[in-house]
Amino acid sequence: MKPKVLLDKVSLWSATAVVSVALMLSIAPTNVKAELKVPTEITELGKDTYKKYCSPCHGEEGGGNGPLARSMLPKPRDFTRGAYKFRTTPSGSLPTDEDIYRTISFGVPNSTMIPWDILTEEQRLSVIPVLKSFSEAFEFRKPDPPVEVGLRVRPTEKCIAQGKKIYEEKLECWKCHGIEGRGDGPSAAEQEDDFGFPIKPFDFTTGKFKGGNSPQDVYLRFTTGLNGTPMPSFAKELTDEERWCLTYYVMSLIKPEDDNHK
Amino acid sequence: MNYAKLNLMKQLFLLSIVAGFFGWNFIAPTDVLAEKGYTEIEVADGGTVIGNVKYMSGSEAPGLNLYRDWELSDASKTSSEKLIVSKINNGLKNAIVSLTDISRGKKKVTSVIHPLIDQQNNIFIPRVLAILEGTTVDFLNGDEVMHNVHTRSLKNQPFNLGTTYKQRISKKFDYPEIIQLTCDLHKNTNAWIVVLAHPYFDMTDRNGYFEICDIPPGTYKFRVWHEELGNLEKEVTVNPKEITTIEFEYSQN
Ligand code: HEC
Ligand code: HEC
Repeated sequence: MKPKVLLDKVSLWSATAVVSVALMLSIAPTNVKAELKVPTEITELGKDTYKKYCSPCHGEEGGGNGPLARSMLPKPRDFTRGAYKFRTTPSGSLPTDEDIYRTISFGVPNSTMIPWDILTEEQRLSVIPVLKSFSEAFEFRKPDPPVEVGLRVRPTEKCIAQGKKIYEEKLECWKCHGIEGRGDGPSAAEQEDDFGFPIKPFDFTTGKFKGGNSPQDVYLRFTTGLNGTPMPSFAKELTDEERWCLTYYVMSLIKPEDDNHK
Repeated sequence: MNYAKLNLMKQLFLLSIVAGFFGWNFIAPTDVLAEKGYTEIEVADGGTVIGNVKYMSGSEAPGLNLYRDWELSDASKTSSEKLIVSKINNGLKNAIVSLTDISRGKKKVTSVIHPLIDQQNNIFIPRVLAILEGTTVDFLNGDEVMHNVHTRSLKNQPFNLGTTYKQRISKKFDYPEIIQLTCDLHKNTNAWIVVLAHPYFDMTDRNGYFEICDIPPGTYKFRVWHEELGNLEKEVTVNPKEITTIEFEYSQN
């Protein structure tokens, strides 16, 4: 009898272990599996996938000028300059493969770039070398290591108040994003991206962050900046705690859904 | 659709391609001022080229200023510092003269003291900077308001950094490229950094003068670059230990 009980106990315990590991993985901040197998060379699969699913918008040569792109705003990304908005790497750096994979899988809210989860993981991975081949920047440079995301602090009232001060006084985010975060600050109207197209500072009240909705995503956006846009990196200006406080304040500007369309 | 209309559209289309091409070329990294491959040698009997870059305008165009930088800039005015022409001799300031086809010459020495670009009263000072590849440039926010420094280079890693009062950033430029700097909060200002692959270059002073010395004897292509006026080229023969004088002239049209 005894050994059987023991066995049961062991299997129960190991089942819990598996579940908790799985849980840990699923709440891990990066949302993306740790080891991605990105092919090092361009494959036939990659070429086909790009041609079929991506080139109608992003163009045969990655110039962001596919047949569907004409009247679209925001424009499909022009890959030729290696300027990627959503990264974990510092301002100006090329993105990591994981960054690109993340955007392909999650899409860009508020644009025509949908989450490409209708493609298999292998297909999504296979287009990464194709995208990179469009820009000679990848020949000259390597992505810098991702920025460090510090230990998260609690969103206390004091912390959020501190974030407000940074937003309004120290870093003057309101000049572009507006005091209430509606993307209508005094400098908002004249903004254009590196490709010469008009671009609006993000309206925080919508809550549909293009780079993802988690606090870490928001933290990363203003820490790394959005390459190819006027949105700068504020890497040098803040301590880690201040960064989290600014994150919480920015997220406090989100208006509940029904408030939005008055 | 009638034929004439179609034809017009075709021409417009071509025109836009051509315009796009030039517009791109203007800041494109392919438009670097020097070719690759440069060997350092002892230059014992080098020659010197001195000269003058002029801008001949028919009339006194508004926006041309005589020694504008003597005045304290007025924060409320938008600045137009692109074309600075001396009234005395039509000399053009901030043009960069360089040799485009030199492959052997004097040692490359990058300055230990970092050249500085300061944002003062919402304006980049200096507006144009010519540096040797490998040089580190410092960027300073001298104003009590937020600025950002935004570049769009391809070979050199671009950046877009927000800066507060007295923040100083250092960036190294490793590849020849013409790089425009902007501040997205103050659209009326920008600056240029021209990175060159060898030390044979100079920027014109307020009267349009430049001087390039220790050039190994031979015949070379000289090029002037100016942010508004584009490029001019000239072939010049440099003789051992002699001073050769040349002149470049941009005309209004
Ligand atoms: C219907 C048009 C459309 C299609 C099809 C499309 N995209 Fe996009 N894509 C866009 C737009 C628009 C953006 C820019 C969104 C923005 O900047 O707000 C974009 C942006 C991107 C980015 C930019 C990421 C960054 O960090 O800047 C990547 C990567 C990308 N797309 C990859 C792909 C891939 C891979 C495919 C094919 C599987 C694809 N796209 C298909 C419209 C499209
Ligand atoms: C020069 C104008 C400017 C300033 C100053 C500025 N931003 Fe932005 N910001 C933008 C623009 C433009 C975008 C939108 C880019 C896009 O749509 O692709 C943006 C996007 C963002 C995003 C990304 C939202 C998303 O969709 O994921 C965040 C977060 C953000 N800004 C936070 C800040 C914070 C915090 C500050 C102050 C520390 C700040 N910004 C200052 C122009 C600015």
